Amino acid sequence: MNSLRIQAEDFDLAAEYQSLRQLSSAVGAVVTFTGLVRDFEGQGSIDSLSLQHYPGMTEKLLQEIVDQANSRWNLLGTCVIHRVGKLLPCDQIVFVGVASQHRADAFEAAQFMMDYLKTQATFWKKVDQDGQQHWVESKDSDQAASQRWANDD
Amino acid sequence: MVNLLFFGRLGDFAADVPASIEASTPAQIRELLAADFPALGAELHEPQVLVSVNQMIVSWNQKLAEGSEVAFLPPVTGG
Repeated sequence: MNSLRIQAEDFDLAAEYQSLRQLSSAVGAVVTFTGLVRDFEGQGSIDSLSLQHYPGMTEKLLQEIVDQANSRWNLLGTCVIHRVGKLLPCDQIVFVGVASQHRADAFEAAQFMMDYLKTQATFWKKVDQDGQQHWVESKDSDQAASQRWANDD
Repeated sequence: MVNLLFFGRLGDFAADVPASIEASTPAQIRELLAADFPALGAELHEPQVLVSVNQMIVSWNQKLAEGSEVAFLPPVTGG
């Protein structure tokens, strides 16, 4: 099972975990990652965050990331959820869950999927800070995190 | 004609850009837009900006078919 959702509404971490856990009796490891909206960006606190994406292309790019993870590791299931629209500090924004027989596959695949999602999937964040809106700049550290998987090939 | 889409910060510079344009490559679109919208032109020349055609990342010299969807993509910031 590879589940992929882009949605405005929140998600239920416990429910997503149970879906992965119950995929089969061969599941011996489930790793989940949840990203949250921080209350600061750059030098200041933020009031809200808006997430834009490129419908159609985003799904395609996320599917490619899931396919790559499945070809690199021995996985039993994955789930990727990314929220779009307006979000507030402390809101859940992204979920990556991986089920596998053994923990190393799930740990590594989850990190790979997040690192690639951050640098390849067509999402853009805009923050609202003190009544001013501005687009978030990409980070070199995210590029470096993604690049190290390419170096492993 | 090809259809144009601008994402992220590029959208702020493209508010007055027509939805479609006659051009044979993304590079030519960039030059045409730079002539009428210099601020957008400068943004599109940033080396980190990517271009996609029909939702595939392509080179700036990709030949465009009639009716293609051409999107200009600044560095992504999701997750």
